[in-house]
Amino acid sequence: MANVFPRWVNLVPIKIAVGLLLIVTSITLGVTYYFTPKYTRVGYAPTQPVAFSHALHSGQLEIDCRYCHTFVDRSEHSNVPGSNVCMSCHSMVRKNDPQLAMIRNSYESGEPVPWVRIHKTPDYVYFNHAVHVNRGISCVECHGKINEMEVVSHAKSLSMGFCLECHRNPEKYIRPVEEVYNLNWERPKGPEAEAKFEGFVHDWNVNPPQSCSGCHR
Amino acid sequence: MNESDPSGPQYWRSLDDLAETPAFRDWVEREFPAGASELDGVNRRQFMKVMAASFGLAGLGMTGCRRPKQHILPYSRQPENVIPGVPIYFSSSMPGARENLPIIVETHSGRPTKTEGNPSYAPFGGGSTVYTQSSVLDLYDPDRATRSREGTSTVSPDAVRDYLAELNKAHLADEGAGLVFLAEPSTSPSRATLVDQLKKSFPRATWTEYTPINQTGAELAAQAIFDKPVRAIPNFEKADRVLAIDADFLSGIDNHLAYARSFAKSRKVTSSKDAKDMSRLYSAESILTATGSTADHRLRLSTSEMGVFAALVAVEILKAEGVTGPLATSMEELSASSGDLGSSLKVDSDWLKKWVKECAADLVAHTGNAIVVAGDHLPHSVHAIVLALNTALEAPIQYVEVPAAADGIQKAIDRLNEGDVKTLFVLGGNPVYDAPADLDWVTAQSKAEKSIFLGYAKNETSEAADLFIAKSHYLESWGDGRTFDGLLVPVQPMIEPLFDTFDELELLARLVNAEKTDAYSIAQATFQAFGGNDYNKFLSNGLLAGSGYGEVTDKLDYSVILTAIKSDEIVIGSKPSAERLEARFTTNSHSYDGRYANNGWMMECPDAMTKLTWDNAILISPRLAKELEARDGIQIFPNRNVLNGKTFQGVKGTLQLNKAEFKRGKETAVVAELTVNGRTVEAPIHVLPGLANYTIQLPLGLGRKVVGRVGQGVGFDFYPLRASSSMGNAQNASIKLTEKTYLLANTQEHWSMEGRAIVREANAEYYAKNPDFASQMGVESHAPANYGKYDDKSLAEKSLNNYRGNSAYEHPKFNEPDSNVKVWQGEEARSKFPRIQQWGLAVDANTCFGCSACVVACQSENNVPIVGKDQVLRGREMHWMRIDRYFSAEKYDQGEVPEDVQVSFMGVSCQHCENAPCESVCPVNATVHDKQGLNTMAYNRCVGTRYCANNCPYKVRRFNFFDWNKRQVGEVYKGPFGKMNEQELPKMQRNPNVTVRMRGVMEKCTYCVQRIEAAKIDQKRRAGASGDVHVKDGAIKTACQQVCPTDAITFGDISDPESEVSKMKASDRNYAVLGYLNVRPRTTYLARLRNPNKAMPDYYSKPYAYKQYKDRYGSSASHGGHDASHDKHGDSHYKDGHESHDKHGAHEEVHSAH
Repeated sequence: MANVFPRWVNLVPIKIAVGLLLIVTSITLGVTYYFTPKYTRVGYAPTQPVAFSHALHSGQLEIDCRYCHTFVDRSEHSNVPGSNVCMSCHSMVRKNDPQLAMIRNSYESGEPVPWVRIHKTPDYVYFNHAVHVNRGISCVECHGKINEMEVVSHAKSLSMGFCLECHRNPEKYIRPVEEVYNLNWERPKGPEAEAKFEGFVHDWNVNPPQSCSGCHR
Repeated sequence: MNESDPSGPQYWRSLDDLAETPAFRDWVEREFPAGASELDGVNRRQFMKVMAASFGLAGLGMTGCRRPKQHILPYSRQPENVIPGVPIYFSSSMPGARENLPIIVETHSGRPTKTEGNPSYAPFGGGSTVYTQSSVLDLYDPDRATRSREGTSTVSPDAVRDYLAELNKAHLADEGAGLVFLAEPSTSPSRATLVDQLKKSFPRATWTEYTPINQTGAELAAQAIFDKPVRAIPNFEKADRVLAIDADFLSGIDNHLAYARSFAKSRKVTSSKDAKDMSRLYSAESILTATGSTADHRLRLSTSEMGVFAALVAVEILKAEGVTGPLATSMEELSASSGDLGSSLKVDSDWLKKWVKECAADLVAHTGNAIVVAGDHLPHSVHAIVLALNTALEAPIQYVEVPAAADGIQKAIDRLNEGDVKTLFVLGGNPVYDAPADLDWVTAQSKAEKSIFLGYAKNETSEAADLFIAKSHYLESWGDGRTFDGLLVPVQPMIEPLFDTFDELELLARLVNAEKTDAYSIAQATFQAFGGNDYNKFLSNGLLAGSGYGEVTDKLDYSVILTAIKSDEIVIGSKPSAERLEARFTTNSHSYDGRYANNGWMMECPDAMTKLTWDNAILISPRLAKELEARDGIQIFPNRNVLNGKTFQGVKGTLQLNKAEFKRGKETAVVAELTVNGRTVEAPIHVLPGLANYTIQLPLGLGRKVVGRVGQGVGFDFYPLRASSSMGNAQNASIKLTEKTYLLANTQEHWSMEGRAIVREANAEYYAKNPDFASQMGVESHAPANYGKYDDKSLAEKSLNNYRGNSAYEHPKFNEPDSNVKVWQGEEARSKFPRIQQWGLAVDANTCFGCSACVVACQSENNVPIVGKDQVLRGREMHWMRIDRYFSAEKYDQGEVPEDVQVSFMGVSCQHCENAPCESVCPVNATVHDKQGLNTMAYNRCVGTRYCANNCPYKVRRFNFFDWNKRQVGEVYKGPFGKMNEQELPKMQRNPNVTVRMRGVMEKCTYCVQRIEAAKIDQKRRAGASGDVHVKDGAIKTACQQVCPTDAITFGDISDPESEVSKMKASDRNYAVLGYLNVRPRTTYLARLRNPNKAMPDYYSKPYAYKQYKDRYGSSASHGGHDASHDKHGDSHYKDGHESHDKHGAHEEVHSAH
C-alpha cells in the first residue's frame, strides 16, 4: 500500500504544538501586561457635557474641593455637585455664557447633567471616601493633581495592588489632616519628616485592613 | 412592571415541568442534602454543546472589552439632608387590624430597603416580626396592582376621583341608603374620623368590618362584663407564674412582640444565682405552638375541653383565694362534667386533676405575680372565667378601654341580600377568598349594583368586583394608627407612590367630599386633634407619648362575671375521636391569613414547627396517624430504618422513627380527603407531635386562586371548610387517607437530636446546684481541653492570641500587624499596636421562641435570594440563618414518634470558627480569615468547588446553583443561555452595601460585615487625627440581633471583657456546638433552662433532651459502663451522672467560657 501521507506530515504535530505554545504564551503575557487597570484606565479622559475646568476652579480660583464635593468627608461617595451648586456662582458670574447653557437648563428643568464617569471601582469594592480624607489621605493620592487638569483624566490605576501598596505603607502617604485638601502640598523629605509621618500612623492607630472584609462585602 | 401573565412560565416553581425529562441521576457525591447536586435534563452531550457555544461567545465578547461609558447623574437641585451614599432612617408604622407596629425604615437614595422595629416604643424595644420584615418586599412586588381597572380597561386616577365625586352626589340624595362598606379593621384615628363623617353624610349607609383572623374574642367577652370594650394587656415581666389556656401569646397573636419581650425578661437568667427567679409557664393547648414549646409544663387537651379545664382551674383558684358565692358554685357545677376530661389522652382523670390542682396552687402562691391567658378562639365564657381568675390572682394586667368594634360581615351580607344595594365598597381584605363559607359572600357581592374593591394586588375579590381601585403600599402613603396600647403612631411614606394608586384615607375623604382630601393633611389634623403640637417631632420620634388608651380601673364583681358565663359554652358536647375530629383553624406561618401569599420571603421562610416551606398541610397527631394507618391501610410513617445493628448495641444503633417518608430528602406526604361541615378538601397530611390526639390543625391562607406568580398553586385552601359558627374550630371533621402522595418541601428532615448535646438544657433548679452543667455535656467534656495549657486564659486573651493548644492547625495571628507592614514592626511600634477588635456572637437559647424573624431579617439585609419550592425540595435553600427545631421525648423509643414532646430551637448561621474547616479545603483561598476573626468569603475568588460546604460541620454554607438574580424565572437551568431579566422592582429592594451574588459562588453569614465596616468607618471618621478607633460596644447590631424581640442574640467585641457579648459568653451556660471538633466557633450558645414544678404529676427531673443525652452517652461505656444508672429515680440520677463526671478529673472543672 502506497504512503497516504507525504513525509512532511511527520513534523506537523510538532509544528502545531510549538505554534500553539507560542500563541498561548504571547496571549497570556499580553493579557497579563496590557489588560490591567494601569493600561486600560490610566489616561482615560472623556469629553464632559460641560467643559468644566478643575484647573480654573480649583487651581486658579483655589476653590476648596469640598465646596462642590460637599459630602466627601461624610459619605462613602464623593458626590458630584448638583446644578444648584454651579448656579450659586454662575447665576451672577458669566450668567449668559453659552457654555453654561446645559447647567442653566438643568437647574430650571430638573433634568440632571449627564457627567461622564471617570473613576470607578468595581461593584464588589466598597471604597469609602470619608474614612480616607478624615484620616490624612489626600484626594491627590488617588486622583492625581486634579487642580492642574483642564479635562479630568484617570491618573492612577486604582487597581487592588494600588490600594494595597498604601494599606501596607500608610506612612508614605499619610499627611496632616489640615493638608488633605491641599493638592499642592509638598511632602517634606528626610528622616525627621519620616519619623513624623510614622508618628501619625502610631498616634492615630492607623492600621488599614488588608483582609478581604475591609473592602469586599 | 408589566401585568402578570398567568400563562407565562411559572415563577420559581415546578422547574420539573419545564425540563423535558425529569431524569434524576444518582450522582454519588452528596455534599448537600439528597438531590442537591443533581443536574436534571442535561446529559453530557448537551453539556458539551453548551460549553462549546459559551467558549465561542467568550471569544466574541473579547472584541468589545472597552470600558462602557457610564454617566453620573447628580441632583439638579440637591435636596437638603440627603447625602448620597448615606442611608436615611424614617419612622413609620406597619398597619394591622388591632395594632400598628412602630418601625424605622432604612432608605437608600429614596428607596426603602429594610424595616426595623422602632426602639422608641419600649414594649417592643426595637424588635419586629417576620411580617414587618417582609412587608418591604411587597412594595416591590412585580405583581402588585399598578393601576385601577374596570373590567378589562384601565381607569385613570382622575376618572376614579371624578367617579368618587359623582358617588358622593348620588348617595347624598338617598342619604346613603344604597351604600354598603366592608372594610378591613384599622387602628387609624384618621379613618375613624372619616367614617364618622361618612355616617353623618350618609346616615343610612352600612359600615361593616371583617378580617378572617379576628382576635377580639377576649375584648367582646370583656364588653359584656365591663359594659364597654376592654382590652387586657398583661405584663409578663412582672409575672412569676403564667398559665396559658390554648393561647399562643408568644407568637402569632397581636402584640405578641411585647409579650414575648416581657416574658423573655422574666426568663433571663444571668447566673446560677438567679435561676430560682426564673418564671414558670404552664400551657394547656390543643396544637403545638411557640408558647407550648417554651412552657415548663405542657398539657395536651382538645380545644373543646378547654372550657371545663378553665372551670377546674377556677374551682381551685377561687377556693384558695377565698372567693365564695355563686361564681365559685357555678364553677363547681361546670367542672363536675370533667370526669372524662383528658380521656382522649388516655391519662386518668385523677392525674389530670392533680395537674390542675398543683398548677393552681402554684399560681395562687404567686398571687399578684400570676397571669392566666386564654386563646382568642375560645368561647366568651372561658374569657369571662379567665377575667375572674386574673382578678382573684391580682394579675399584673393593664385593662384599657378601646374603640368599639364595628358590625361584622354578617350585617353587610344581610344588607346585600335585601337586593337594593347600589354601591358596595370593599376596602382591602379579600372576602371572596376568606369569608366564612356558609355566608356565600360571592353571591352577596354580585347582588350589589356596583361593587368597588380597593386592593393592593389582584385577588379573588378584585376579580369579582366591577371596579378595582389600586391601593398604595403603606410605605408610600400618609396615615396614622395606634399601637396595641393606644399610642398614636404615624404612617409615613418613604417613597412617592410607584404607580397610580390610592390610599384609603383619600378615597374616603373624596367620598364624603371632605375639605381636605390628601392623606397628609388628614393625618396632620388628626394629630392636632390628639393634642399634638409639633408634627415634625412626632414624625421623628415615631410616636406620641401619653396618647395611650384610657385605663379601666373598675372593680370587678364576680356576680357580673357569672352572668357572662354560659354553661353550654363550657360543657363538652361530645368528645373528639378519630371519626369525629376537632379541626383548629389557624393562620399559616407563610402568608398569615392569605395576605402575604405573593411574598417570596414569607413563602420560603420555614414554619417554626413543621419546617415546611411553600406549603401548608393538615397537621395531625402521631396517635391519629397511627389509627388512620391501621384503619385505611395506607402507610404514613416510613419503614423503620435500622442503622448497622451489629456495631451498635440496642437503642444506640437506631435512629428514631421519622414523622414522614423522606425519599431523597423530599417529604412524601399522604394526601387525605378532609371533610368538615359537609365540604371536602384534599390536602397532604403532616404528622406533628404535641397536637391533642384528635385535634387537627388547618393553617389557613394558602391555596389562593387569583394571586401573583409567587403564590400560584402554593398550598391548600381550608377556608371553604370554615363556617361563621366555627371560625376558630369545628368539631365534626373527618379524614380519609387516599393513595395519592404529595411532595412537601421540608427543610429539616429529622426531628430528633438522637441524644446528642446540640441544644443543651437543664432544669433551673439543677442549674442552681450545678452551674457548669453545659460544659459537662458533649464529647468535649470527655476530651482534653482544646486550648491545652492555655485553657484557663480569659476569653479576650484567647480570642487575641490564638493559642494553638492541641490543634495541628497553624493559627492566624489576629493581634499582630501583617509582616508586610513596616511601620508597625519593631518592639516599640509593636507595643503601641492597637488591639484589633474581635467579633463574636452569643445566642441565649433560653429566650429563643423560634419566631423566625431573624431568618427573614437576614434575607432582607443580605440580598439572599428566593429559590422556590422545586429547589428547596433539592435542598438548595439559600437562607444564611436557619432555625433548627428539635423534639425530644420522655422515653427514647426508636420505633415511635412521640406524642408529648419538648421542643428546642436553635438559630444556626455561620459560626465563624477560628479554626475554620472550610478554609483549609478551599483550593483558591476564597474563604479566609480576616484579622477580626471573621471567616470571610471573597466571592470573586470562588470557583464553586463546594469543598467548603462539604467540610462545614454546621452546614451553614449555601451555594448559588443558579443565577437567581439576573436570569428570568424559569430560565435558570439554561445557564448562560437563560434569558436575562433582572426585574426593576425587586432590584430596588436590594441592600446596596451587600454584593448580589451570582451563579457558581458559595455564600454564608458574614456577621453582617457591611454593618461592622460601616461602624468602624464611622468611628474612624469621627476619630480623625486621634487614636480613638475602637467601635463602641453596641454600635454594631447584626440584622438578626436587631430584629429579635427577646434580645436572645448578642454581638460585639469579645476581646473587650466589658462588652455585652463577653459578659454573655462568660456565663457558665455558654457552650460551643460541636465544640469537641476544636473549630473554636465565634458563635456560642447559652444553654436553655426549663423550670418545672416538683409537685406536678408531669414533673421531669431533667429536660427530655438532657435525659436522652444521659441515656445514650452520659453513663455509657465511656464512663466505665455503669449502665444501671439510667434515670428511673428522678433526682438520684443527677448524683450518679455528676459523680461519674467527676471521675474524669480536673479538665472538666476548668471549662471556662469560650
